[in-house]
Amino acid sequence: MPLIDPTVVDLSRLQFALTALYHFIFVPLTLGMTIILAAMETTYVITGKQVYKDMTQFWGKLFGINFAIGVATGLTMEFEFGTNWSMFSHFVGDVFGTPLAIEGLMAFFMESTFIGLMFFGWDRLSRPAHLAVTYLVALASNLSALWILIANGFMQDPKGASFNPDTMRMQFNSFVQLVFSPDAQAKFVHTSIAGFVAGAMFIMGISAYYLLTNRHKEFAARSIRMAAVFGLISTLAVVTLGDALGRLDDLLQPTKIAAIEGLWHTTTSPSAPWLVAALPDDKTQSNVFEIGVPYVLTPLITHTFDESIPGLIDLEAAAGPKILNGIKAIDALQQYSTTHDAASLATFKQYENDMGYGFLAQQNAPNQDLNAITPAEMPAVVQQTELETIPNVFVTFWAFRIMMFLGFYFIALFAFVAYFSLKNQLENKRFLLKLCMFSIPAPILASEFGWITAEAGRQPWSVYGWLPTFQAASSHNVGYMIFSLIGFALLYSLFIAAELYLMFKYARLGPQSHDHAAPVSGTGALPMFAKPGFAAKSWE
Amino acid sequence: MKTFAKFLGLAVVLLIAIVLAVLCGDYGPWYFAWLVGTTMIILIAVAGGVLFETQLEIQKKGS
Repeated sequence: MPLIDPTVVDLSRLQFALTALYHFIFVPLTLGMTIILAAMETTYVITGKQVYKDMTQFWGKLFGINFAIGVATGLTMEFEFGTNWSMFSHFVGDVFGTPLAIEGLMAFFMESTFIGLMFFGWDRLSRPAHLAVTYLVALASNLSALWILIANGFMQDPKGASFNPDTMRMQFNSFVQLVFSPDAQAKFVHTSIAGFVAGAMFIMGISAYYLLTNRHKEFAARSIRMAAVFGLISTLAVVTLGDALGRLDDLLQPTKIAAIEGLWHTTTSPSAPWLVAALPDDKTQSNVFEIGVPYVLTPLITHTFDESIPGLIDLEAAAGPKILNGIKAIDALQQYSTTHDAASLATFKQYENDMGYGFLAQQNAPNQDLNAITPAEMPAVVQQTELETIPNVFVTFWAFRIMMFLGFYFIALFAFVAYFSLKNQLENKRFLLKLCMFSIPAPILASEFGWITAEAGRQPWSVYGWLPTFQAASSHNVGYMIFSLIGFALLYSLFIAAELYLMFKYARLGPQSHDHAAPVSGTGALPMFAKPGFAAKSWE
Repeated sequence: MKTFAKFLGLAVVLLIAIVLAVLCGDYGPWYFAWLVGTTMIILIAVAGGVLFETQLEIQKKGS
């Protein structure tokens, strides 16, 4: 009977993917809205106009709802590493746990403390002091993301640690290398600013709703102006930083970039087309259908005009020798763990860098035992493992394209809205306003597809080149996994329902509703973070 | 004395900012880009808000 049940691994992956994707519905809004709140409050401090204070308070209230539910969905994920990914936690816990702990102790506590001051400190703090608090909330929420992305950066490009054959796990070499890993850096800026886009679209969409319904017009016109300008620059930054991340992937994870581009064969000429659309077939390892633009792929990926880009079939073939070396490394490691002799340690060190490929071959060995592979079986095991060194191309290819097409749509939308807002003609553009309203979830969707690209593209590894995903899971039974999966799905669906209910309720009520009973039928008036006099609007 | 203390305090902040910028620029270019970029995004959004008020004032004066 195999040691690792592939069904349990698949269910663990599904559960983590679901909880992470659920959690990430809330994260981009938190990242973006805190920064926009800081911008709005800065405008309040500069101009002294009450409307900007009201804007900060109203959008801050919607941010508060999102933050509270977002935190609840994030907490469970950290426990999942222990419950469902115990082998992963054992293997890289020393390294991976550190940024997560710092995130909890530094960023999250800082964020929680200053959020309290931000909501309840309006009458207790001076204007500059309150502004500083709002900036600290913005900084803390983004610092929180930073530490999570540093942890994720280690999974994408393990820097700052090495494998210790005595403890059988990865141990720290350099905290600085971990924190300043290029992948962590590029991913942080890309993800954080993608959150800015989500925050801007959220404010722009709800403001568009007010303009369409002729309510809170002055409030909405100012909000939409700031959100559109903020969103336009943020989207341009996200696209640029995404390109930088792509270049890094080309250098660090060639299988991911080849999957993103649906590239089965190594490019030999600068005229290689960039595929706008294709139907990659993972079984036949080819594209059934392609629409491409010539001369775009090479400069886009390599930032040169003559560098070749390795294709997936060639990358599979290149993995063959690494798989053989990895099997030797694990054999030497097993010997060393019983004998602790210098010879087996030296052999292990010789092949150590390919150890992960040996782990990967384990799933194709008889009874998942590498020692049981006969010389006659070895070529078949290596060949089968080679096929498993690349990610699912169809998923990676389309997840990336959906994210990217949405990104360019956002540039156009923000640009048009900013332009008509600057010309004071936005109120007449009802189609554009409706587009803004219906585009509220689009940046969150783009972020979700970005994560699918990053994580599906990293497969078959949980820690790139070191630990295959199938070896990282805990040894639960299928029944337990199905039970906990259903539990999580139900619980998180409730969270989403609560978020949507509260968001719709308070967005419909609008900034004026706090001291008045239900201006919109059926919504009621529930004061939240409100204080007397909040609804006195001299600006409208 | 108060002005001098304020000047000294701001000078220290400036010095820390320069040291951070040099260190961050060398070892964490993307982190540095985020700090500078986010500040710029905020300032341009604020400028958008301030411009709105100016446009409104011009409109009021014109009518």
